[in-house]
Amino acid sequence: MKRPRIPFRVRLQRDWQLLVMVAPGFLILLVFSYVPIAGNVIAFQDYNPYLGDNPLEAFLHSEWIGFGQFQLLFEDPAFWHALRNTLTITAFQLVFFFPLPILLAILLHSLLSSRVRGFIQTVVYLPHFFSWVLVITFFVQMLGGAGLLAQTMREADLQPWNIMTNPDTFILLVTAEAVWKDIGWGTIVFLAALSTIDQNLYEAAAADGAGRWRRLWHITLPGLRPVIVLLLILRLGDALSVGFEQFILQRDAVGREASEVLDTFVYYFSIATGNYGYGAAAGLFKAAIGLCLILAANKVAHRLGEQGIYAK
Amino acid sequence: MTASRRTFLGLLGLSAAATAGGPLLAGCSEKPTASGGAENLDKFANLLPARKELALNISPDIAGTPPVPSGYTKYPSTLIDAITGKPGTSGKEITAMTPVWGPAPPGIGQSAYLQAVNAELGVPVNFTTQDGNTYADKLNAMLGARDVPELLCVPGWEIAKIPRFSEAVKALFEDLTDHLKGDAVNAYPMLASYPTASWRHAVWNERLMAVPNPSDGPFPWALFTRKDLLEARGLAIPKSLDELLTMAKQVTDPAKNAWAFDDVFPMIQIYHKVPGSKFGWRLKADKTPEFKYETPEYRQALEVMAKIYKDGLVHPDIVASKGADAGLLFAQAGSIVFKQAGVGFWQGAQAEHQKVNPKLNIQPVPVFSATGGDPLMWRADEPISFTFIKKGAGKERVEELLRVINWCSAPVGSQEALLREYGVEGKHHTMTPNGPVKTDLAFKEIANQYFFISGRNPTIGPFPDTPNYVRDLLGWSNETVKYLEADPWEGLKVEMPDKFKAFAVPAEEKFTDVLRGRRPMSDVDSIVAEWKANGGEEARDLLAKALSEAGR
Repeated sequence: MKRPRIPFRVRLQRDWQLLVMVAPGFLILLVFSYVPIAGNVIAFQDYNPYLGDNPLEAFLHSEWIGFGQFQLLFEDPAFWHALRNTLTITAFQLVFFFPLPILLAILLHSLLSSRVRGFIQTVVYLPHFFSWVLVITFFVQMLGGAGLLAQTMREADLQPWNIMTNPDTFILLVTAEAVWKDIGWGTIVFLAALSTIDQNLYEAAAADGAGRWRRLWHITLPGLRPVIVLLLILRLGDALSVGFEQFILQRDAVGREASEVLDTFVYYFSIATGNYGYGAAAGLFKAAIGLCLILAANKVAHRLGEQGIYAK
Repeated sequence: MTASRRTFLGLLGLSAAATAGGPLLAGCSEKPTASGGAENLDKFANLLPARKELALNISPDIAGTPPVPSGYTKYPSTLIDAITGKPGTSGKEITAMTPVWGPAPPGIGQSAYLQAVNAELGVPVNFTTQDGNTYADKLNAMLGARDVPELLCVPGWEIAKIPRFSEAVKALFEDLTDHLKGDAVNAYPMLASYPTASWRHAVWNERLMAVPNPSDGPFPWALFTRKDLLEARGLAIPKSLDELLTMAKQVTDPAKNAWAFDDVFPMIQIYHKVPGSKFGWRLKADKTPEFKYETPEYRQALEVMAKIYKDGLVHPDIVASKGADAGLLFAQAGSIVFKQAGVGFWQGAQAEHQKVNPKLNIQPVPVFSATGGDPLMWRADEPISFTFIKKGAGKERVEELLRVINWCSAPVGSQEALLREYGVEGKHHTMTPNGPVKTDLAFKEIANQYFFISGRNPTIGPFPDTPNYVRDLLGWSNETVKYLEADPWEGLKVEMPDKFKAFAVPAEEKFTDVLRGRRPMSDVDSIVAEWKANGGEEARDLLAKALSEAGR
């Protein structure tokens, strides 16, 4: 079905308020997301920021070395190590973190008293606004060697557990920290989606004798499915970003082996050493993988009959 | 590692690209290159300012053995006006960046201290203060973006971490040679009073590029203890490493919230006489340079420190997170009994925390030798920091900025120094017969901002709020200075190869893994081999070449 084409001028006249409203956001996107893309050129240069009279000239005067940075990157065991860590943590959190906000949202949604619900929501949202330094200090004060748990165990003549500095269980620790910080925040979208599910469906199902679990399985979860799929795709596109400060702060505690992720790799091997071309190469690689993952996940979503992040 | 890369790309169904990618990448690419260099500072005598000491009517109370500066125990009763007239003429705000350790002081709008000093300067200086522990990261980003403030403080020890630093200096900062060389410096009498040796280090690319902040003590680290806590346990300050380690076990009692140490690895290295020149080098008998990682002394130190960690003598908060505040755990909570810190930590911590805990008595532990013979102390008598002026400000502005630096460089005994260090009477300090004593507001607002954009002919004290400090410090310093390590590269400015700089942190982290027991001691050989391959040998060649070129 083809709609009749409306001339551009008419559309402009009709929509100009909307365009004006979008303009600031678009400008920010342009200046902070699109223009800097051009800077990726340094991934193919032996970039020296001090050449020429200004930063632009530094781009122009730096020596062009093609894929040299990428070659170094792919030969660097530290890079592959960081990549492996990142993917392991992403996979782990996809299984053990991603579903939790959904469960919490369903739980909150089933609470009848709106005052109790509001109170719980406020409490679980709050940690999202704490900085990572604070979150980790909180964990250290609770679970660290001089923390509440350890001191209580000592009083009971028990040997305290090593929770904060054990590289083998680090993945559990970072996930626990992330869950504590962000589980509440993650429920917002799901709660919104839950509120759009038609209440009549539940009543009809209940009248037909469906129990609590059958209603959950046949009404609630299918109702949430588009949102879950959408967030899952977005999360996959971000698969190579698992956090930064959280890992920097605990780096010495568990060592580089356990805590090096791609973002910290770029920081230590590029920002901290002034080796910008190398970091740009790693960043470009990361972006390319992210794009592939988004496209692949979206394709799978289409196959499953979902809309994904864009329609075909 | 190639295997894992293949597997990974294979997962994505990109193995074809991977096989094709290898030769493709190799075909049209070159690897990036860069290197370091060395300059013999003796050659630049003609660029340096002529020294002219200030005529002050006060003299130090305790003499220091050079390079330890002399100290004042009493605050001068009469103060001179060292500078007449206001240095600022344009009224145009000056931007500056300085390091701060601990909480950041309030900005220009909320700080009575900054406002008072700025009023005297006649031109406002607007400071951005950055965490001193991660200052190099901020500097790197700032220099790389070529976006620097008009006055930039660069601490001496950070320069070693910044690749292409001399290129950055050339591209971004004003050449000060013609403003300061020879008698030209007389326009800035405070700058003329700096020791000539400190100016030598401010030469880059054969030009005078910065104003140095001369070192006020030649030691990079000291081990401090809470003497009050030791006395409460019937203990005295230890006199040998064995005593220290035995005492560490005695004082560590998790049930009472007490641990012996924070991270004291550099001090443990010093006790084992690990080399420290140019951040870890010395000459072997056959005159080849040798880095600390290669020495048996370093391994011994590594073993001792690893055992300290293993025995649980380090405070768990320090072990668990970089966010922990060791200074507070030591000086305020007393949960750490022995803390390593720069010497500058002592006076500030004592002055601030004795207000709450009058019994507080922070004292240094004497330096000792773990292996017999005389002890050894690393040397850090190069300038603390350098103040650079942004390029392109114009002659008049550069002169104004130099006058501001000159004002901030006024020595003890002047009104300017009183205001700089103690702020405004009634607000930041109260006058006592012994001199000014800081208030709580002073601890909040004064964080060495103006100190870090200037320099002085170094002296110590006076510090009326900690009356014993100058005596104690000079006692410890005059004893420790006897064991100062000789630097074979003295007077040579060496910029290490980029590859060496880039591997410095990864190498340290690998040794941290050994220290914390995550890697066995037997891995040390392979880490050293890795270090050699990643710029270690290049650095050795550079240092050897620098020496032979200097004819040593």
